[in-house]
Amino acid sequence: MLVSNPINSFELVFPIMEVFHIAGFAVAIGVTAAVDFRILGIVPLQQTPSQLAKSTQFWMLGGLLVAIFSGMELYTSDPDMYYTNWSFLIKMACMVIAIVLNYTIHRKVAQADDTSGGAKAVAWISLVLWASVIFGGIFIAFIRGGL
Amino acid sequence: MMTIAIWIENTPFFAYIRGSGYEFPTLLALHLVGLAFFGGMILLTDLRLLGWGLRGSTIAGIVNTLRWPKRIGFLWVGTCGFILAMSKAEGYFLNTFFQLKVTLLFLVFVHAMIFRPLVYNHPEELDKAPEIPGRAKLAGALSLFLWLSILTMGRSIGYMSSPGGLHYTELLKTILKFGRG
Repeated sequence: MLVSNPINSFELVFPIMEVFHIAGFAVAIGVTAAVDFRILGIVPLQQTPSQLAKSTQFWMLGGLLVAIFSGMELYTSDPDMYYTNWSFLIKMACMVIAIVLNYTIHRKVAQADDTSGGAKAVAWISLVLWASVIFGGIFIAFIRGGL
Repeated sequence: MMTIAIWIENTPFFAYIRGSGYEFPTLLALHLVGLAFFGGMILLTDLRLLGWGLRGSTIAGIVNTLRWPKRIGFLWVGTCGFILAMSKAEGYFLNTFFQLKVTLLFLVFVHAMIFRPLVYNHPEELDKAPEIPGRAKLAGALSLFLWLSILTMGRSIGYMSSPGGLHYTELLKTILKFGRG
């Protein structure tokens, strides 16, 4: 029995899912960027990087889960287009690397309240990776060629 | 109004941005990167005002430290947004979601005018109170609501055909049709 995908059957589902997707990413990337800015010394908050990371970890994980699950829903609307789109593939690669970095090296650096040159390099890499995720997401609609 | 919009979008700079290259999506991505970085700072401030996070830090510490980074972020996001809107001025001016977004931005300005003297300009007084005062929580809640609404309207702009756009009544009909299944 063929069942139509609700995301393609109702015109409002896709935009609503996309709003959740962007809001989730904005929250997750926003709080991660705040930790990075703290490590870089750009935003000299009272809290140390470890305190800031601890108090924002719920929002980071929550935002990320909302973004990932809504993103999976969006993907089902046209898997062939996404799978063969270079921008989508770059976005996925940057996102996986950014998440792995966030829960490994980035977490260690933040927990150690490390603000050395190495820690600052990790913060910059984190910022560039998350910005690349956004660029990748935006360019999906503008890149026509693919695999 | 439309004559002005058409003139603006056809000036060489805005016509270049609207061109077939990657200038428009690059600016759009920069707009969203700024929104994420800047939105994170708004979120931290609002969470602290609501007492939902960063309780290890004083309200004054958060509000005062994030004041200037937020202003720089606002300038970044606003500049990108302005260029994007002016490059397709005619379509944007007629777009209901864009009109709602601009209205909400005006409400952010009203919010700032009301709560600056009550909350943001004297955060030290909020820290002296035994509990976070209601006016601070209201400021945080309204700020969160306004910015999430702006994000929603911003994303929705792209789903409206323009020029001509989708009128309020058409939007309502679509929502009602969706509600009926």
